[in-house]
Amino acid sequence: MKKRSMATSLADQSPKLVRSIERRLFLRQGLSLGALALLSGCDLTDDEGVQKVLTGISRWNDGVQGWLFSSTKLAPEFPESAITKPFPFNAFYGEDEITLVDGNSYKLEIEGLVREKRPWTLPELYALPQTSQVTRHICVEGWSAIGKWSGVRFSVFLERIGADTTAKYVGFTCADDYYTSVDMATALHPQTLLTFRYADEILPPKYGFPMKLRIPTKLGFKNPKHIVAMFVTNEYPGGYWEDQGYNWFSGS
Amino acid sequence: MKPLRAIAAIAIFTAGSGAYPADEPVGKPMKMDEPMRGEMKRKTMKKGDVRKAAEKKAREMKPMMDKETARAAKK
Repeated sequence: MKKRSMATSLADQSPKLVRSIERRLFLRQGLSLGALALLSGCDLTDDEGVQKVLTGISRWNDGVQGWLFSSTKLAPEFPESAITKPFPFNAFYGEDEITLVDGNSYKLEIEGLVREKRPWTLPELYALPQTSQVTRHICVEGWSAIGKWSGVRFSVFLERIGADTTAKYVGFTCADDYYTSVDMATALHPQTLLTFRYADEILPPKYGFPMKLRIPTKLGFKNPKHIVAMFVTNEYPGGYWEDQGYNWFSGS
Repeated sequence: MKPLRAIAAIAIFTAGSGAYPADEPVGKPMKMDEPMRGEMKRKTMKKGDVRKAAEKKAREMKPMMDKETARAAKK
């Protein structure tokens, strides 16, 4: 085949194809910038100006990732024989300092852009339609593990509380002080579960009793444990690690 | 979100009282002035930094969300 210059080749193509190629180049460049922004989580520098620039790039990268996110593309699921035993515990505190929540008095607080703000007790949450998944938890630290979680599809719960699903974010506060937030598209993804069980047993404290949000399309730090309150908003809520420079979207 | 209520709930829960699933070791109170665990942290980070950041975030979010909720109620 005769070699031709890139410009000539592009000129020969339909405008639709050219736009598609330009978009791919734009995305590739954007993702490269995003990779640079992730370095901010590695303490590249503490200089405030540099941090602001990197944060801006990371937020822009969030937009790109959100645009690329497919609400129908599923994370891989595995047979129960693939489950990692024991499933690792990981937190910013030790296993002997795990937060203990009183399940009898527990109430999940609901705030923000929702129709029904009443708190939910555990029996009410357990009564919602339950489903299970065996999926891989991928940690930003570089390890991964497969586990079985069961609970209600988060989209079902959001529907029950009358959440404004046109809002941008769902935020979470946790009994161990941790906080994070996710984009609405991920919240509505069919594999995003509000989980109450691990390996068919009530979620033990070390895995987040009374509930953990399990999102197999995101990194582990986007899967909050010991959730005590959640809110729907259009105001960017960030998260603990995200506010330290880790990429907010952190998903596929 | 009502941050004060959430903070109060967190304070109660982190006090470590009450029931939890059986056969689990009883958790010690978190030592807030100790360095954080894990690989995500910077060396200077302490466990108590998370609570401070959560309280600051709740204070920042509250007025914005109050306005947002009020706007939504008017619609």
